[in-house]
Amino acid sequence: MMKNYILYFRPSWLLFLAVIFIGFSACEIDEIEDPNGPSLSGVINNASRSDLQLVVTGTESLLRKEINFYYFTSGIVGRDVYLFTSADPRYTGELLGRDQSVLDNAGFYGTRPYSGRYATVKNTNVLLEAVANNANRLSLTTAEVNGYNGFAHAIQAYEMLMALNLQFLNGIRVDVADPFNLGLFLTYEESLAALAGILATASNELANAGADFPFTLSSGFAGFDTPATFRQFVKGLEARIAIYQGNKTAAASFLGESFLDVAGDLYAGPFRPYSTASGELVNEVFRVPNQSEALVAHPSYTEDIEAGDDRISKVAPRDTLKLDDLTATYDCIVYPSLSAPIWLIRNEELILIRAEARIGSNNAGATEDLNVIRQAHGLGDYSGATDDASLIDEMLKQRRFSLYAEGHRWVDMRRYGRLSQLPIDRVDDDVWQEMPRPVTEDE
Amino acid sequence: MKKTRLWLLFVIITYGGWVNAQFMASGTITDIDGNPIVGATVIIKGTNIGTVSNLDGNYQLDIPTQSALLEFSYLGYSTTTFSVAPGEDIANVVLSEDVTRMEEVVISGLATSVKRSNLANSVESISASELTGITVPTNTQAALYGKFKGVNISANSGAPGGGMSFKLRGTTSISGSSQPLFIIDGIWLDNSSIPAGLNIVSKAQGGGGTSNQDNPSNRLADIDPYDIEKIEVLKGASAAAIYGSRAAGGVVIITTKKGKSGKTVVRLSQSIGFTNMLRPQGVRQWTEERVLGSNFASSIDLYRSAVANDQLHDYEDELFGNTGSMYNTRLSISGGSDRTQFFIGGTYKDEEGIVQNTGFSKQAARINLNHKLNDKIDLAVSTNYVHSSSDRGFFNNDNSGTTMGVSLTSTPSFAQISADENGNFPNNDFAASNFLETAAKITNNEDINRFIGGGSVSAKLFTAERQDLKVIINGGIDYYTLNTTAIFPNSLQFQSNGNGLNGVSIQAFTKNLNTNISAFLLYSLYGANGLSSRTQFGISQADFDRNTILGEASNLIGSQTNLDQSGTRDITQTRLIQHDKGFFVQEELNYQDKFIATIGLRGDKSSNNGDVNKLYYYPKASLAVNLHEIMNNAIDQFSLLKLRVAYGQSGNFANFGSKYTSFVSGIIDANPGIEVDDLLGNSNVAPERQTELEFGFDVGALQNRLLFDFTYYIKSVDDLLLEADIPWSSGFISVVTNAASLENKGFEIGVDYQVIQTKDLQWNTRLSWWTNTAKVTELLVPSFTTGGFADFLGQFRIKEGHSPTEIIGVGGTPDEDGLTVFGDAEPDFQMSWMNTLTWKRFDLSFLFHWKSGGEAINLSTLLFDLGGTTHDYDDIDLDPDKLMGNGPYRVSQIGVNSDVMIEDASYLRLREIGLYYTFPDKVLGDIGLKLGFSGTNLINVFSYNSYDPEVSNFGSDGLSSQVEVNPFPSSKRFDFHIMAEF
Repeated sequence: MMKNYILYFRPSWLLFLAVIFIGFSACEIDEIEDPNGPSLSGVINNASRSDLQLVVTGTESLLRKEINFYYFTSGIVGRDVYLFTSADPRYTGELLGRDQSVLDNAGFYGTRPYSGRYATVKNTNVLLEAVANNANRLSLTTAEVNGYNGFAHAIQAYEMLMALNLQFLNGIRVDVADPFNLGLFLTYEESLAALAGILATASNELANAGADFPFTLSSGFAGFDTPATFRQFVKGLEARIAIYQGNKTAAASFLGESFLDVAGDLYAGPFRPYSTASGELVNEVFRVPNQSEALVAHPSYTEDIEAGDDRISKVAPRDTLKLDDLTATYDCIVYPSLSAPIWLIRNEELILIRAEARIGSNNAGATEDLNVIRQAHGLGDYSGATDDASLIDEMLKQRRFSLYAEGHRWVDMRRYGRLSQLPIDRVDDDVWQEMPRPVTEDE
Repeated sequence: MKKTRLWLLFVIITYGGWVNAQFMASGTITDIDGNPIVGATVIIKGTNIGTVSNLDGNYQLDIPTQSALLEFSYLGYSTTTFSVAPGEDIANVVLSEDVTRMEEVVISGLATSVKRSNLANSVESISASELTGITVPTNTQAALYGKFKGVNISANSGAPGGGMSFKLRGTTSISGSSQPLFIIDGIWLDNSSIPAGLNIVSKAQGGGGTSNQDNPSNRLADIDPYDIEKIEVLKGASAAAIYGSRAAGGVVIITTKKGKSGKTVVRLSQSIGFTNMLRPQGVRQWTEERVLGSNFASSIDLYRSAVANDQLHDYEDELFGNTGSMYNTRLSISGGSDRTQFFIGGTYKDEEGIVQNTGFSKQAARINLNHKLNDKIDLAVSTNYVHSSSDRGFFNNDNSGTTMGVSLTSTPSFAQISADENGNFPNNDFAASNFLETAAKITNNEDINRFIGGGSVSAKLFTAERQDLKVIINGGIDYYTLNTTAIFPNSLQFQSNGNGLNGVSIQAFTKNLNTNISAFLLYSLYGANGLSSRTQFGISQADFDRNTILGEASNLIGSQTNLDQSGTRDITQTRLIQHDKGFFVQEELNYQDKFIATIGLRGDKSSNNGDVNKLYYYPKASLAVNLHEIMNNAIDQFSLLKLRVAYGQSGNFANFGSKYTSFVSGIIDANPGIEVDDLLGNSNVAPERQTELEFGFDVGALQNRLLFDFTYYIKSVDDLLLEADIPWSSGFISVVTNAASLENKGFEIGVDYQVIQTKDLQWNTRLSWWTNTAKVTELLVPSFTTGGFADFLGQFRIKEGHSPTEIIGVGGTPDEDGLTVFGDAEPDFQMSWMNTLTWKRFDLSFLFHWKSGGEAINLSTLLFDLGGTTHDYDDIDLDPDKLMGNGPYRVSQIGVNSDVMIEDASYLRLREIGLYYTFPDKVLGDIGLKLGFSGTNLINVFSYNSYDPEVSNFGSDGLSSQVEVNPFPSSKRFDFHIMAEF
């Protein structure tokens, strides 16, 4: 006889087990904060003063994001440079319109410099929002609020102007604060006007921002790091936009309040700093001279430059390099090292804008300004005709060599309708008017 | 849950009765050769009354009834029944090996398994002999090729140490992982691929950060295939629903070897082999005319002097021509008493690659213990320590001309870049780097120390004649530290004289800890009417914690490699933390092996979801009908006729971090700033949900010597997570959203046939055929392209109504998106043919694997064309006008027509072949000795114009396989074996 069931454990054990089971599954999972970085909502809703400083510094840092592609694209399409690399065929293919190839609306050359600019714009909008939401709690003074906002508005207008330079007649969106409710695309002219409006706002805010910013800026803004001096930079940008708009009077007036100085250092102006120190960004436009992976000068640079022009030092002879039926004998050394700065805007451009603004109303003054540039580069005074058309030719020539590889020639030739005058290197090459609207922006 | 518990208690209390032992049955259980089988199970059919055979194969069993049908079973042997009655109480049985595997037990729940003949799913499994019996797999994943229907395994490159991606029944995710969950002895295994941070040198991903183009290995490579007893693959949600939120990619369940009671067996094996390049392409053959007509015209003097001095090089051979030697030593000791069994395994492996200074070495040890504490409690422990080290070279995409593969593309055969007599390398004037120097000087090593350990306790709480209740608790940890070291000394061409960063040392340390624990109650009831049931309820918890610290140092001081011996340092830390909890309940019903039904439900919550405490439910249900049992085996021709249908759901988590919108840091003048990241997070993110319906039938004829199985499945995935493009003017690049659905449909057909079964000659063959087609059924965002570099270079397109793996490009006849479909990464079908032939003492096994159709994006050839060095540069067969050489023609098509880059990736391979001879016992007394030869990938037929159509520049992420940019080429291998057993 045996019992047909055996209970191996006392009932109390079973109860214990049941409690474990129930307790185990009932307990909650705790929300995990992102372990890898601060969160966006935390900063917007609950910023400290040091958070605001971090956003300012981050914004400055973002001015450098993907910026190398801006200089490659504008430099290659504007026939300042070629980029020879075995790693990507598009630099010598699509960007030059080789054979039948066309630009790709997902190609990095158009999309990355574009998205990089709007990343900065996002950061500035975060700053504006964080300041607005936290001003009371942090007891920010009106002057301090104006300081933050003036900085944010100035930088976002600058960055959107860069995006507009790539997009030209496609226009851009300017109202982009809400990612789920973006503003419409404006035409090129509307875009310029909107950016001019933002800069005017910045200019006003900066005029009412007290003597000092409530934040510090990097060495890139040395000399432009108070509301008053930063505002001179903003005025320079306003002049640039006005001249793009063809509004010479406004340009001249903005220049009066800018940091223009005909006697001053042509390289005075705020810039993006680079460094090879730990954690810093390096200048990725830089390519080591005389290598097979090279940023080379377009052959026309050395062909067209006047004898004695010291701007020849922006290029350096190299071993002949051929790629895709293109030939280079000079490297572009505008950015001579990994820590070379890239300017946002500088005195030399302002002088040239004033020259341009004077053509038509004060040709003698324009000639004077052009001679400032010529003399600075070891050339004699301008001796050609001083009619408007001749001066425009001379002004564009000086802009070409003074602002070489700084992203201007393509824009300048375009606004004067002269893209067809840019040199074609291979029979079927094309000069593009603008980058295609990025694929993700399709409305 | 509470109801279940009460119901269990109710059953325990009410079930009872008294019976008498009527008589005792006894006998001996042996195999065909007369050897006793130790540990075979004897039960009275339809009850849980039973025992196991002892060390001599003997058993005794009290029978409570007047007569009984005894059922004898043992793993790997066919089950047999025998009637006993008083006076006829001696039952000696002979068990024959189960070649058909219908008796094999297959997992059916988290705490249960079921005989294959009663299974309602198509769950595939392979045993140790199929895994490692033919040849030496370089790692576990390489041993799985072509052995499972419906499973697409693809090597990402040929680099030593592996790097493979799996797709089980098609693509199951677009932005997330399609990789299956790996579970070894109940331990949730980490199978990450952690990049080494090479981007700072290769610039493969433009703006910095660690890119997945680093070609890392995946961590399954650590598992020693020789430790494995069995691998089961749950291919879709209908089988994998029991694993819930992590199972959408399928589940691969690995069971390691256990000791067996009886004599201690020592097995020692040694293999020695070599490896070389699978498919050399050759190099462009130069003539004076060709040099002058190329970008190398100015180097014509160099060409002339190279010809004059007989210095034309085959640089492909100089880079990839190393014949790598391979050693593999394996020792295992197993045995035990009837209470305690042990298995000890050790492996020492050292394999060289086909590129100088590359290779893979591994030392692994395993101890598995099983112990019966008493009649009620069983304990099992499995422990595994692995150290592996792989040197992977420097390959794949780059944007700096520095990887060896890219540098090779622009170096003509008349370049002189070999080292001089002092070992100094000249600069390669034709590329940014001298790949021979790079191969000689760089380090790119992954070094891992890993401990995987787990254990389980199974205790009977209650037992009765026809019922029992067990509790099973198991848990495991998977802990490793991975140290990746990439050193680019400042004497390299691309790190000296102002090039590069003047020497780079990149060192990453990853600590990964996975822990999981689960507990189950399992109640079995064997009804008197032939209806038996098993009820299980369980809870589980899994935690994941990974921390990677990546240090990048450049401007190295002299030849120093420590991170602090540098001018510039950068450090990045990446953490991944996840907590999951869930429960599982399942009911299995079996009516006389005629109808077998299962219904179950899993509920999961996770910190990775937007709502961390929301339970997501995954149901399953299945039914198998054994017609041959219903008809009492009335049809002689058919020994098996089974219809089956199964349904289930499972999930797939968003990539870690998808719920957050974060800032990243940016430094300027040593001051930190914060920058909004590219990805707009989604605080409502939910898992992807897969629903699978599978049905099929199994037919066995000729006493199961011929088995045929057919399965059709429909697998749909909803709430697919996309890192969908968002207008970039928002400041973000992409946004995480559950915004798409896709559907996979496919067939799987298998035939197993024991063609010849005579004393001297046995031939078993297995033919498998499978196909899958996929379609995006819903897409809430505009169609987009992904997974490549640019549309004109070939990309994948996600578009409603189209295959998610279709490859598009420009040119041809564009559709409404302005794009043309040039192919699809998905093969038309795959087929494998496995054979084992035994003739007297010789064993011959071989496995053919045919993948038909499917395209790949070949950008290697394009880069060779741009460099002007392609092997077929001057052949004229692509240009329709027959004017241009292939090289110039392909270049002329860049941006015009992507067709030339998108190539058929079909292949036929002899994956494995092995020939062995077993010595007769007498030769060496007690020592069994076996000698053999084996090979891997010895025959390869493909038209793809590069090293291997099986390739992935982007590793195993999402869709991105089948894109090639100058990878580490694949290799073939040959091994000689000697094995001893005593």
